[in-house]
Amino acid sequence: MASASGSVLAKTIANRSKRTIYRTPLIPRPVLVGGLFVIALIGAYPYYGTNAYVLSLLGKFLCYAIFALSIDLIWGFTGILSLGQAVYFGLGAYFIALSLKLNYALTHPTRYGGKIPDFMEWNGLTSVPHFMQPLMNLKTAVVCALIVPTLLALLFGVITFKRHIYGVYCAVITLAESLILQEFIIEYQAYTGGFNGITDYSNYVSPRFLWFILAVAIIFFLGARLLTHSKAGTVLKSIRDNDLRAEFLGYNVANYRIFVFCVSSFMAAAAGAMYAAWVGLVSFLDTGPVFSIEAVIWTAVGGRGTIVGPFVGTFLVKGAEFFLSGVLAEWWQILVGGLFIFVVLAMPDGIVGAVARWGARRRLALDNIARKDELKKYYFQLRLRSERSAQPEKEAP
Amino acid sequence: MFTQSIITQFFNGFSVVAILIIAAVGLAIIFGVAGVINMAHGEFMMIGAYVAAVVDKLGGNTLLAIPVSFAVVGALGLLVERSIIRWIYHRPLETLLATWGVGIILQTIVKLIFGPELYYVGTPKFLAGGFRLIGRLPFPWYRLFLIIVAAALMALVFYVIFHTDLGLQVRAVRRNRAIASCLGIDTARVDMTIFVFGSGLAGVAGAVLAPIKSVSTTMGFPYAVDSYMVLVLGGVGNLWGVVAGASLIGEAETILSFVFNNVIGELLVFLFIVIVIRIVPKGIFGYYERR
Amino acid sequence: MASLLDVKGLTVKVSGYTILENLDFSIEENELRVLLGPNGAGKTTLICMITGQYKPYAGSISFAGQDITGWPPDAIFQKGIGRKFQVPNLFETLSVFDNVMVSLKGRRKVFSTLFQTLSAEDSDRIWEALEFVGLADKANEPADTLSHGERQWLELAMLIASDPKLLLLDEPTTGMSEEGKRRTAELIERIARSRTVLLVEHDMHIVRQIAKRVTVLHQGQRLAEGTLAEVMNNPAVREVYLGKRRPQ
Repeated sequence: MASASGSVLAKTIANRSKRTIYRTPLIPRPVLVGGLFVIALIGAYPYYGTNAYVLSLLGKFLCYAIFALSIDLIWGFTGILSLGQAVYFGLGAYFIALSLKLNYALTHPTRYGGKIPDFMEWNGLTSVPHFMQPLMNLKTAVVCALIVPTLLALLFGVITFKRHIYGVYCAVITLAESLILQEFIIEYQAYTGGFNGITDYSNYVSPRFLWFILAVAIIFFLGARLLTHSKAGTVLKSIRDNDLRAEFLGYNVANYRIFVFCVSSFMAAAAGAMYAAWVGLVSFLDTGPVFSIEAVIWTAVGGRGTIVGPFVGTFLVKGAEFFLSGVLAEWWQILVGGLFIFVVLAMPDGIVGAVARWGARRRLALDNIARKDELKKYYFQLRLRSERSAQPEKEAP
Repeated sequence: MFTQSIITQFFNGFSVVAILIIAAVGLAIIFGVAGVINMAHGEFMMIGAYVAAVVDKLGGNTLLAIPVSFAVVGALGLLVERSIIRWIYHRPLETLLATWGVGIILQTIVKLIFGPELYYVGTPKFLAGGFRLIGRLPFPWYRLFLIIVAAALMALVFYVIFHTDLGLQVRAVRRNRAIASCLGIDTARVDMTIFVFGSGLAGVAGAVLAPIKSVSTTMGFPYAVDSYMVLVLGGVGNLWGVVAGASLIGEAETILSFVFNNVIGELLVFLFIVIVIRIVPKGIFGYYERR
Repeated sequence: MASLLDVKGLTVKVSGYTILENLDFSIEENELRVLLGPNGAGKTTLICMITGQYKPYAGSISFAGQDITGWPPDAIFQKGIGRKFQVPNLFETLSVFDNVMVSLKGRRKVFSTLFQTLSAEDSDRIWEALEFVGLADKANEPADTLSHGERQWLELAMLIASDPKLLLLDEPTTGMSEEGKRRTAELIERIARSRTVLLVEHDMHIVRQIAKRVTVLHQGQRLAEGTLAEVMNNPAVREVYLGKRRPQ
């Protein structure tokens, strides 16, 4: 009798502990609470804040954070290190900047009386080039800013990923790609503003725009979370961990990589487009490898593969730059270089990653303790019951 | 007339090829054996060039600058290797990021010491001028010097790799690291030696570059990127890959930049590399490795 | 009766070195075949070829009547061939449960997995696979915390969940204790009841325990085929494994 009930009880315990699968919730409570707090902090700044420069920084940092998020998607989740993501950011930015500048020039003639952007005039152009005419329409420009980089990413993805070119080769090729775009922009200054970039088309810093950028950031964040929590997200992680095994389990690894690369580029382009409108200045620096790698470090500091990490890292590093670079001047660069080294050697999981791992370990340990406690409790009761049944029955059945 | 210019450009390209070979061979060994991508390679070259500038100021010439640069940058490489690289061998993406940081630090430090202005190092007097190759084609003595240095370096590397004990160890570690260490080879020391040697070569590249390019803190980066492209195109694991990659890229860049302009030339070379990689993903001489 | 897997005239050269030479090999449906041979005989290469890792120099491979020569690995998997690697290949940062979930037989396309949810049946099948190999109570642990034997079993569970018609096992007991090897052998026998299994193995105890038909490879060619007893009595096989008897 005792053994039968024992086995039933054992099965019950086993079933109970077996059937629970721990999943990180879509939005863990600390993230929800912290996130709402930060959103309120940023969103309400126009009301309590007095510094216009800080307001402009907030919008800028949000755009940077979205860019870092796009890098986290391909690097943290899928393991592709691309040193040229700024290409997509920059293309998105240039499309919008050109459109805004073209329209601005119509209403603000240059000193020579021309109705075309100043950098075009300096370079001898007398009218807006044909292929840029469509950009006069802002809506067209927005569509271009979002679609063209994504198509370029698709092209790149098909060329490299379908031939299993990953890792270092991919990093180097994206580095070169980014460099070449930079040089193109500098060289063809009649069309791009060259070294000076596109400036003076009035920025659109305003509370409304800030909220728009914030809303876009939240939507991208949620979208990225949904992606990484879907089965596709788990597949992406498995590709990152062992692409050989994933392929031999039937997954077309190249297609998954291409997909996530396009999503990432779309995000980067959107960030760039908003950035151009917000900041009012776009230059070749926004398309180059230096910017790309900076964003990689923000992601690494915050925690790669965590979706929250890029936001944390961007605001942390850029915020530190805001406070420190004035004081430190050249030494800030040395600090940044040191940060690269530090993050790689000592902080591979980043801040959020370290917190998450600590939480996971704690939870596993608690699970084990709880299970052991439960087992102890039941076996104790089992022993009590068997001892009682060993004693002679005092009552009549 | 056009053909003549193309031929001129072809011979001009020899300089570029020679410099690329010198710059890339160090990188090739380091990546091929130790699995390290040194993003500070350009900065190492830059420091080699600054050393040459200092030597020049002190009255020496390029011939003296070469071994001095080798020593200085080699020592720098040792410092970087001992403090940073040795913890992250065989994780190329990590070394990529960490050495990028090193590069930033080096650039900033040099800028703090030497200031942002450009330095000019003259070619050694006995190498000034040139001779006439076929017909009226001018051929600077310095270019011949570069070719000789590149060839000598390749010969040196070949000799070390294939005819010395150290080279034997390097080849063993390259083939099968685990077994090599079982056989008593100190793989950590091999990695360190490789890194230091490769860094020294980068210094030499900078030293021979100084007379023909103005010395500034950002001069190294384009050569670093070109060196990686040489590795990507030529393949890692075979020294002939360096020669092949450098030759193709150097010549293509020179000729195409002449026909079109610098930027289009680079773009075309880049597209060419991408197309070749599509066909031969591991590079022309990269051998087919089992996954 | 047509074989499930038919390899004809397969020749494989890598870096100029011929690993498989004009090999003919076939497996019937629902067989449990053991592939033996000394190191370098080409056993793992044969498995690589069947699963599409490399393209052959010559020859053809057909599965369930369809020519799969030169197909990429993911397409071959979807046809119904599963492969267990010699060194356990797992998804290190994923939990044990997730490792099996990713392997579950089902749609593999990007847009399918984007919107897929885990149904109750799927969940049950994952638990079944985990219970089968005895890893059910480690379901939440990340895969890189498992011991070596458990990693082998996890890969086995992943392959069971993927429900292949033909299962290629490349030395699944490497690095296991005696106890572990025996358990693995039992598991393999149970798996083989409902599928076709090709097992590469070195440990003769296990081979004796479960082998029905055996093929011996040597230097890229088929040396002998038959029951274990037949093969072990084959003088050529004895020579290859044990060496020629030296004249007294």
